[in-house]
Amino acid sequence: MIISKKVEFSASHICRSPQLSDEENLRVYGAASNPHSHGHNYIVQVAIEGEPDPVTGMILDLKHLKDILEDRILKVYDHRLLNVEVDSFANTVPTVENMAIDMWKRIEAHIDATGRARLFSVQVHETSELFVEYRGEA
Amino acid sequence: MTVHLSRKYGFFAAHRLHAPGLSDEANRALYGKCNNPNGHGHNYEVEVTVAGKVDPVTGRSIDLNLLDALCEQQILAPFRYRNLNKEVAEFLTGNPTTENLATVVDDRLRAVWNEWFSAAGPKLEKIRIWETERNICQVEGQGRTQHES
Repeated sequence: MIISKKVEFSASHICRSPQLSDEENLRVYGAASNPHSHGHNYIVQVAIEGEPDPVTGMILDLKHLKDILEDRILKVYDHRLLNVEVDSFANTVPTVENMAIDMWKRIEAHIDATGRARLFSVQVHETSELFVEYRGEA
Repeated sequence: MTVHLSRKYGFFAAHRLHAPGLSDEANRALYGKCNNPNGHGHNYEVEVTVAGKVDPVTGRSIDLNLLDALCEQQILAPFRYRNLNKEVAEFLTGNPTTENLATVVDDRLRAVWNEWFSAAGPKLEKIRIWETERNICQVEGQGRTQHES
């Protein structure tokens, strides 16, 4: 069984690789390569896989999950310029793909307090028309 | 018969809330995390509402191709993928709150409205801006139109 929880935050980013020229950045990222930054309202949906505890009926403590998302995603990402203020993106472009991978790394080890649940996927929605899902390394 | 037609547009932009007339400390206290000097961003949505008579032949109250072109020229092209504080003239020394953004959108459309639509044509009635799903500001232009000046 899979249980999912959503959180939202607002952040800015610059889609620009220092390893590419200005022309290449414009070609790859288009207007999103604007060095002054732009931003989004992001929605993160994490899915947890497990079986409900026979006593509580729950896969995991939802308060515990809420605290993890608050402490390890929202406190890091919310109202930030991701390139400058999130250390993972000091040398990595904060595309929505890389954001999902980074969030997975930040929360995976902390999801399971009981041995009953594991992180199944992290979805990051950048717009209403674009999102990625990361399921960890196979 | 007059009808009220609304059309929605969207753009992605960065901004920072900072009132130039307040101290840094007062700005931090007032705007909190929105005052972060590095800025943050949103998926903005703009709803433009126009009032017009339904043409008996076409059944339309406004030429939507014209409205789209006007909004693209005045709002979307200048705001899309921009840092509002650094790249939009009104906010170089202003403060891009949702309220001020709605006013700027209204002003920008109103300033050229008569060049795009005839006197008997559709009137700009209302602007609504969504900064987030929960943060919405509405400006109704009565009383602040160029037609009165």
